[in-house]
This record gives sequence, C-alpha cells and structure tokens, in this order.
Amino acid sequence: MTATSIPVSAPVAVDLGLYPEIQKFGATDISACFSCGTCSATCPMSQTDGTFPRRIIRYAQLGMKDALLSSKELWTCYQCGECSESCPTKADPSEFMAATRRYAIASYDKTRLARAMYTRPAVATVLAVALALFFAAFFLTAAGPIPGGGFSIWAFIPEELVHNTGVVVMILVALAGLAGVVTMARDIGRKEGVSLRSAFGTRAGLARTGRALWFAIGRESFGQVRFRDECEADDVAKAVPWYRRRWLVHAMVVWGFVGLLAATGLDYGLALIGVKATGTLVPVWYPVRLLGTVAGASLVYGATVLIIDRYRKANRSVTGSTTADWMLLALLWVTAVTGFAIELALYLPGTPEWGYWLFLVHVSVAMELVLLAPFMKLAHAVYRPVALFFVGLAAQPKEAQR
Amino acid sequence: MSDETLTPTPAEEAEGGRRIGVYVCHCGGNISDYVDVEKVISDIRESGDVVVSRTTMFACSDASQQDIEADIKANNLDGLVVASCSPKLHTYTFRGVASRAGLNPYEYTQVNIREQCSWVHTDDREGATAKATALVMAGIGRTRNTIPLEPMVVDTIPHTLVIGGGIAGLRAAIGLADVGLRVTVVERELSLGGWVKQLGRMYPHGKDGRRLIEDLVAKVKSRPAITVLTGAEVVGKAGSFGNYHVSVRVGGEGAGTIDVAVGSIVVATGFEAYTPEEGELGFGTEGVITLPEFKELVDGASGPLAWKGRPVRSVAYIYCVGSRNTAGCSNAYCSRFCCASTVQTAVQVSGLDPSVRQFHLYRDMRTYGKFEPLYTEARDAGSVFLKFDNDEPPTVAMGANGRLTVTVRDLLTERTELALPVDLVVLVTGMVPRENAELVDVLKLPKGADGFFNEIHPKLRPVETVVDGVLIAGACQGPKTSAESVTQALASVTQSAAILKKGFTELDPLVAVVDADQCTACGDCLTTCPYDAIKMSESADRHFATIDAASCKGCGGCIPYCPENAIDLLGYTDAEVTAMITNMAEVPV
Repeated sequence: MTATSIPVSAPVAVDLGLYPEIQKFGATDISACFSCGTCSATCPMSQTDGTFPRRIIRYAQLGMKDALLSSKELWTCYQCGECSESCPTKADPSEFMAATRRYAIASYDKTRLARAMYTRPAVATVLAVALALFFAAFFLTAAGPIPGGGFSIWAFIPEELVHNTGVVVMILVALAGLAGVVTMARDIGRKEGVSLRSAFGTRAGLARTGRALWFAIGRESFGQVRFRDECEADDVAKAVPWYRRRWLVHAMVVWGFVGLLAATGLDYGLALIGVKATGTLVPVWYPVRLLGTVAGASLVYGATVLIIDRYRKANRSVTGSTTADWMLLALLWVTAVTGFAIELALYLPGTPEWGYWLFLVHVSVAMELVLLAPFMKLAHAVYRPVALFFVGLAAQPKEAQR
Repeated sequence: MSDETLTPTPAEEAEGGRRIGVYVCHCGGNISDYVDVEKVISDIRESGDVVVSRTTMFACSDASQQDIEADIKANNLDGLVVASCSPKLHTYTFRGVASRAGLNPYEYTQVNIREQCSWVHTDDREGATAKATALVMAGIGRTRNTIPLEPMVVDTIPHTLVIGGGIAGLRAAIGLADVGLRVTVVERELSLGGWVKQLGRMYPHGKDGRRLIEDLVAKVKSRPAITVLTGAEVVGKAGSFGNYHVSVRVGGEGAGTIDVAVGSIVVATGFEAYTPEEGELGFGTEGVITLPEFKELVDGASGPLAWKGRPVRSVAYIYCVGSRNTAGCSNAYCSRFCCASTVQTAVQVSGLDPSVRQFHLYRDMRTYGKFEPLYTEARDAGSVFLKFDNDEPPTVAMGANGRLTVTVRDLLTERTELALPVDLVVLVTGMVPRENAELVDVLKLPKGADGFFNEIHPKLRPVETVVDGVLIAGACQGPKTSAESVTQALASVTQSAAILKKGFTELDPLVAVVDADQCTACGDCLTTCPYDAIKMSESADRHFATIDAASCKGCGGCIPYCPENAIDLLGYTDAEVTAMITNMAEVPV
C-alpha cells in the first residue's frame, strides 16, 4: 500500500491486550520504539520491503493482532541481532521478534498448552520433567529384566510398545500441528491474496508453488542460504572460525535432526520390507546405520555448540535466553547424546548395563520431544517454512498470480 | 565624503538666517543607483541657509557621523538635514550626532529618500532625483523653522501595580519589592495563585503547583512593600506615564473603589483554557474530557484511575485541540505547554497504574527544549504515539455498548485506519486569551489578531506595550509555560525598575501646546484627545484649554478641531509644515 491509496475497508479494531500479552512471551520494552525505522534500514532481510521489522513492532504497539499474526515477514528473521545493536532507543527489536514468534506459535495452538509453556517457565519445566518420567515409568512397566548376553534393547522394552507409542504420539502431534499450520496458512494466505485455487489451480500457479516450496524447504530450510549469506554481521562472522558460525551450527542441528528422523524411518522401512529387523547389529558402514551415525554426530555437535554459545552469550543473537530456548536445546542434546551412547553400547564388547538405562532415557525424551513439538520452540521447524513459502510466492512476478 | 563644503556666500551671510548642514546619503547604492545624489546636492546648494552640503557613502557609519559632528562644530551649524533612510531607523542616530556636536537634537530633520524614493522609483532616475530634491528642500524648509526643544522631565512614583495574582504576577510582585519598589497586586479571584495553584506535580522539579504558589504567597506576605487586593478589579486609569492613578474596585459590584498612584503597571492576567465546541472531537460525549479536567483527576488520584466510578484502563489523548487550526478551529497559534503537560501527565498515569494503555494522537510532538526527556519517559512507560493528518482528524464515537471508540488514520502505520476502544478521551486543549474587555478598555491595551496582548517588539521589547509604563507578562501576551511566564514577569520587573528607579523619566517634547492668548475656551478640543490630556483651565480672568504634556502623545488629533488655530504641535508646527509644503511645491517634479 502506498501513502496515497487509502483503503475503504472498516477501521482495524485495536486489541488493547495484544502488547501486554506479547510481553508475557519475553518481549523486552518495545514501547520505547518511536518508529524511526533504523531497524528496517539495518535489517538484511528488509531488502524488498523497507518497512520490516518496524511495521511488525508497530502492529504490536497498537494492538493490530490480525495484521501481526498474518505477517509472513515475522518468520524471515533469523535473529542476527543487528537491529538491536543499532536501535537508538534500545528497544531490542531482535528479542521482540523472537518473543512475537513465540506468541505466534502459542496463538496458532488452539490447546493453549504452548501459551502455558511459554509464559510460565515453572509449568513448562515441571511438565517436561513429569512427561519424561511418565514415559520412562510407562515403558518400565512393560520392561523385562535386563537381558544377559548380547546387547538387545527390544528384550528390555518391547519394540511393539515403543513403536505403537510412537505412532500414537505422532498422530497427536500431527493433529495439533496441522491445526496450527492450517490457521497460519489461512491467515497469511488471506492477507497475501493467495488462495488454494491460485496456488494449485493452474499450471502457472503450480509452477509458482513449486518454486516457492523449493525456496522455503530447499534453499532456506535445508540450505540455510539467507541465514548463511545475509543474516550474520561481518564482524560476528569473522570473530569465530567457520565451524562455529551460527548458520552452520544451526544447519547441523537441522540436518542431524532430519537425518535421524530419516534413519529411523528407513530402519523401520527396512524391517517392513524384511531386509533386516530393527535393532539388528549391523556393521558401522551399513548405509542406514551410517546415516544415523553421521546425523547423530551432527546433532550432538550442533546442540552442544548452541548450548555453549547460549550459555556464554557468545553473540548478539543469544543475549537473551528463555526457558523455551533451553528446553529445546536440552531435549535435543539428551536425545542425541543418549542415542549415540546406545550405538556405542551396541558396538562395545560385553553388555554394559548403562546402555539399557540410557535407552530408556532416550526413548522417553525422544517421545517427549516429538509430543511437545507443536507447543514449544521446535514448532518453528514447521511454521517457518510455511511462512517462507509465502515469502517465496511473493518474491515471484505478480502478473503470474492472476 | 565628497568635498562639497561651501564657505558661506556673502548673500547667505547677509540674510542673517539659519546655518544648515545638508547630507545626502548614497546608502551604498541603495539610493545612488536610482537617485543622482550629486545633482540633488547641486540643486539644493543655492537654496539659502545651506552652509554645508555633502554626499556621503553611508551617513550612519561611525566615520561619517564624526565628519558631520566636525562640520557642525567647524561651521557653527544650527540646523541639520540628513537625507537617507526611514526616520524609524536613524532619527535617534542623528539626534545623537547633533547632541554630541552641541546642537539641539530637535534642530535635526531626517529626510527619507530611500524607502519613499529610490526603492520605489527604480525605473525613473530623473524623476527620482527630482523627487529626492523636493524632499530635501522640504526638510530644509522645516529645519529653517525648528526651535530648540528639551525633553520633559517627569517625576515618577516608585510604585507598581500588578494586575493578576497568578505565578507571573506573584513573582513580579516579589521582584519589584526586592528592587525597592512598592507594589499593589490586584487579583480578581478571592484567592491568589491562578492556574498553577490547581496543578499537582510539575516538571522537572516534581514540586506541586499548589506548593509553589504557597511559597510565593508566603514571600509576598513577608514583604511589607506589597499590598494585595483580592476580589478586586481595575476599573479606571488617569494620569500619565510615571504618574498613573488607578481606580480599583474592591469587594465586588457596588462596593467602593480605592485609588492607587503608581508609576508603572504590570499586566499579568493569564489565559483561559480552550473549551471545545459541542461535538468538536466528541466533546460533550460522556467520557470525553479536557486536559485541565484530566489533570485534576490524575493529580487527585493515589491509585488506579477511575472516571465516574468506572476504572480507566485505556486513554486516548487527542492533541492540538483548539490550537493550530486543528479540526477546523480558528486559532492558528501553537499553545506551547500542552505537549509537555500531556506527556508528563501520561507518565504520572503510568506511575499510578503501569497497565493503563495510553494512546497519544498527535500532529507534531513539541516537547521542545528540556521537556524532550518527558517524551522518552512516556514512551518508556508504555505510551503509544500515533500521528494524524489535520486533513483527517480523529473521530470520537460512543458505541452501543457504551464504550468510546476513537478512529484515527495513523501516518506511522501506512495510514491504516484504526479503531481504539478506550475508557477516556482526553482533548488536549490549548490556551485562549482571557476575556478582559473592561481592563482592555481602561488601560487601552493593544490586542493582536489572536486576542492576546501585543508587545512592542517580539524580540527586543517583549514586555513593553505601546502604552508607556504598561507592561505585559505571562500568558496574557501569548501561550507560555509557567517558567516562561516567570521569565517575562522578571523582565517586567527590570523594565519597571528602569522607569521608576531614577525617580524621573524623560519624555519626548514633541507634544501639542495651546496658545492661551488665542484660545477662546470653546471646548471643541476637549473630546478629541484619546489620552484625556486636554483640560480646561482658568486664570483670574478667563478660561482656556491646557494640555498635560506628560499625557500627550503628540498625535496631533486635536489640532484640526481648533477653530482659532490655537494649538500647535512642537516639532511639527504650522510654520514647519507650511514651509515643507511650500518648498516642496517649488521643485518641479
């Protein structure tokens, strides 16, 4: 919209509670913002739309809830922290964007569990511990005695039980996650003028959708292209060796997480087609095993470095940390490290008893991680690509969108 | 200076007339580019009584002034004509030149050949030159008829009347007493303090307005030189500069008046808060209040705000109401204090209850100077600022649910039209001049188009009015903060002291005089004087009009009414003016 085109639509009803609500998600004092736009001038993601992130802050200040939740730009931010560095009023726009994403995740979640987890750290912590204990207890009730002889996890906890529990958890997560994603896509789509018809109804539409998907999932999610090329200030990038760069560390978590999911799925698939049963001892170079090992190493490395950097406040992006940040890292790290330890136990001579206990921890925490995904920071793994899909669509020539 | 000195010709010597020096200024080229100044000199040189005639590049330069002084002394001149710019600029300059050279300053005539000749006749050099010659000839004609005059010395009364007992009036009274003048303070209300007395915490010292006034009143009371009349009004003024007799009505209508003799008068009558028109930005709707009402509410609160028993959880402030032609109002000026006052109040509100949502709908935020931190403070405390365009002012409406909604197009959010649901709408009303018709009439106070009292010069004479000895201070002169009002109050103290501390004052002697012998006491002149300077007097055998020189402003208004031509205006006598016209008429233009 330009300054001269005044819409004839009804006035936007202001939600007086929006700003105090966002503040509960960790927003620092954004009220200090006087809309100077220095953040927009500094933001590497603000190339095509000179009003970001200033406009998003304005939405929050004024209480323009719908406009805020339907802003795809919210998710283009990789929190480089440049804006907070340059902000003349020290309003910390970068932390504000993070808090607003938390708020968005909570808003898309109809169960209000995400809201409780984000706004009440004590509740979140107790819930996380309790849920892990619950899963552990649940599995223990069905666990047999620690078997002697070769390392055989399924002899300890029945494979069926783990599998079925996993399926139930997946279904629950899919339902909760899908509801949120649909809400988000509908809101953004409405604002962007994108309908199912325009996205999928025509050949040109499909082509654009394909390109947008490639941008969102290929380039941005797996490639981390803009994160790598644009969202790291030169001085920050130069201050650390390449293997400590933010984008790479984050990418290793992404790759590791996805790699492990793929390895688990493939392992199960191999069992389904009868190639080998899950849990069978295979050589280290066995492709699925190798994938799992490499992905696991990647995840352990990534999560470890993220934890260290966050603890040390090593860069602008991690100056402020919330319980939600720590919880995701902790769950990822425990899952990855215990997974690795199990593999170690598998290949060690003899049958180390700790292997079984770590396995119990592993399945319990992994189940919890998946179950809580839509209600915690991990949800960004889905919401961000959805928003980026719309960014990818908007980046394409307009005339094709008719 | 071109060498055009002439030794007196025998003919001039023989006439036994005046010895006049005439100087025609180039003014750099401002005059000489369009007027042949050398020709002017040669045309007037032989006109008689002119002993010295020169052109000069800049007559007002120090060097030229010294040259003229030397000429006056060397040639024993008894009259001086400088043809240069407007008398408004340099009359006093060349009167000074005359004085320094021992010549009576009223023997000097300024001729304006710049504003009234060269600048307006740039297309006609010949005509301009002829006109300049005619003007200079007129000046010479006048100067032939000048007489030495001495300034009138008037004794002054070391007593000042302060009208208005607000912060400016009180501070002025204390200052006046402290420089050794007696003071009478007249306050229309029954108690002192004005607007400031009603205020709570003020910025930046954090002191209550009430406390501030209490301190001032205590200081006033501790000074025996100050007399305070409350419930009192000025109803009459007689006398002249330095010796005014002011009638003050005390004790309300029908009660007695007392006379106060004063040398100067400080008017500090303050302002009135703007009252919006019914319907102006929602005014008249329940929950739409003005800034003074809101300040009273906030100053009186010790916890979360409530209006009419309902908690106030959100407030919208609409700025510039009654100022800057906002929403079609006719006041063009900015009221200065309101931005700072409002953001300060908003900070106070946040202090009472940090969760109150406050929206400031402004046109331009003018928390100027040292008030700027208040704006930052307000933002830090959570106030949100929305900028509207005066072409599209906000609208205020009461919904069916009994809730106020302010609709505004925010220039900072892509002109998005927003509907703000609020509990209270505060119209940030500015200052308007106080209705003071009687006082204006009594003191002959000059008012500007905006209704505030006018100073003589906005920069150089900010508290003086065209009425000698009547000074203005505070918001009666125009919208101001209390600090600015006090500054003016103290300036009026200085001005009063400058007038009154010497014990006398010198007045221009250019006043009307009556020739008592010619006066037939017809009385026609008595009603013509706007300054009540003419009185009928009597001697042993007859009546005749007299003019009080100290009251006369030299306007000349009485002169044409006299059937006997018995009144003359010193400096512009009939003889002088007739000579000017005659001389001018002789020059073919």
